[in-house]
Amino acid sequence: MTSQVIEGGAPSRGRAFLTSFMKNILPAAPLLLIVGFFFLFPITRLIYVSFLSNDNTFTIDNFKTAIQEPYRTGFINSIKIGVFSAAIAAFPGALAAYFIETRGSSKLRRTIAVMSGVLANTGGVPLAFMFYAALGIQGYLTKALKYLGWDLYSGTFSLGSFVGLLIVYLYFQLPLMVIVFSPAIVSLRREWSEAARNLGASQFNYWIRIGIPLLFPSFIASFLLLFASGFSAYATANALTVGNLPLTPLQIGGLLDGNVSAAQLNLGKALGVVMIVISACAVIPYLAIQRRSAKWQKR
Amino acid sequence: MAKALRIKFQPPLAITLLILGFFVFLPMLSAFEYSIRTPLTGGYGWTHYIWAVTEEDFLHYILRSMWLAGVTVLITLFVLVPTMTWLHLSNSKVRGLIDGLSLLPLVIPVVAFAVGAQISFPEFVQNTVLELPFLYFVLALPYAYRSLDIGLNSIPLKTITEAARSAGANWLRTITSVIIPVIRGSVMATIALTFALSLGEYTLTVLLHWDTFPTWVTYVAQDNILGAIAISMMSLIIPFLILTVITLFVPERTIQGRK
Repeated sequence: MTSQVIEGGAPSRGRAFLTSFMKNILPAAPLLLIVGFFFLFPITRLIYVSFLSNDNTFTIDNFKTAIQEPYRTGFINSIKIGVFSAAIAAFPGALAAYFIETRGSSKLRRTIAVMSGVLANTGGVPLAFMFYAALGIQGYLTKALKYLGWDLYSGTFSLGSFVGLLIVYLYFQLPLMVIVFSPAIVSLRREWSEAARNLGASQFNYWIRIGIPLLFPSFIASFLLLFASGFSAYATANALTVGNLPLTPLQIGGLLDGNVSAAQLNLGKALGVVMIVISACAVIPYLAIQRRSAKWQKR
Repeated sequence: MAKALRIKFQPPLAITLLILGFFVFLPMLSAFEYSIRTPLTGGYGWTHYIWAVTEEDFLHYILRSMWLAGVTVLITLFVLVPTMTWLHLSNSKVRGLIDGLSLLPLVIPVVAFAVGAQISFPEFVQNTVLELPFLYFVLALPYAYRSLDIGLNSIPLKTITEAARSAGANWLRTITSVIIPVIRGSVMATIALTFALSLGEYTLTVLLHWDTFPTWVTYVAQDNILGAIAISMMSLIIPFLILTVITLFVPERTIQGRK
């Protein structure tokens, strides 16, 4: 209000700067301060410290160690579990989102939205318990499968193994896929399929020429986000594995807790920075695709 | 026509729901069955739930998690909502910057964020549990921002604000009694999401050595496994109930206002 009045006059240069500052930046200051102090500052410091040796001199040795064994295997396993869990969850999740959004009643859609929100956030010990109860050695599904002649535990399977963890990860990856892919389906306009049909397209033609090309970018974007989620999951892996499966988040957690000691004090920070870089390779394209498809998804 | 379609039985939908339901509920119900076992008598009962609820720590930790989540929601309401309203109204140059910043937490894995937080904050910040709501706020920011953005985009914000201002409302009043009620759908969604995320946050909390409800479950599991399963079941059901209640309050029109 005041600033508008001042604007009407012919302020001096200093005052002009001040009013422009007050008008353009000041109201955003609380948010910028919080994000700056509680987010940008720690991340910048993390990157800075990752380049410091034990004597606080500049070095890239932390990164050299970070890409050697056993951390190399940690990264490979983490990337693998991210890719596989995303790949397995993506298509069924997309299909489920399609049927729920196009055929479900509004009540059903809202219930599923709430449930997906809760399920996508499950993890850690509660999730581990659920799978021990279902797929553990004494689990119900294990017993049922054994009754049917398939002994899960005859080989090397355990819930803490790679395959075991992969199955458990699907429990939050599938709902996450439903959440992130649903908006794309909602914005597929009914008119488009009707228009295509009026022009003589079959259902198959509509999907090949219109539906899939429109949804494909969002599908890839969702896949990338799922990858980032599986790649950086910590709580569930921490609850299920007992040091048998090297994963980067667990290795960082170990270094942070001081349970594992390394010759280089700042190794954990370097591992964190490499994780950020890998995660950025997935999330930044995700955001770019989202922004692009938001253009036609807007109504 | 639309009504007839909705009522008609939908085989693909039914099959989808059946498979999803199986995958979701089988582990849940299996764990539930464990949590109501009473090994001493060999039957079923609520023993472990009663044990958990009467534990002194139960109330302590659940209240702590609740108020931390409450503070996170307050930060969202008092900082994010006014700032975003202002950004939408003013076409300020910082809007692009804040747009980008708000999405950035998606890029950073929580574990890396925890390491950064541990080595950066001065002691007076690290010594108070109040650092957690601010960190939770950052974690929830990408989702909260998007959800509010949709809400603010879907209303004629400028007209509404000008009307309120010319009717004599000041800025605070415009935001609290005009704008927030108009976009209550997306505000409620944002609250639900922020609350749920804060209530269940584990990684950051445990790596910064704080104890909340989710980390307490891990601790209990070491000596009373069935009790811990009971608590785990509650930690799933409580956010579910809260979210359901919050979304029930939201009139349908605002949720689907974009369609």
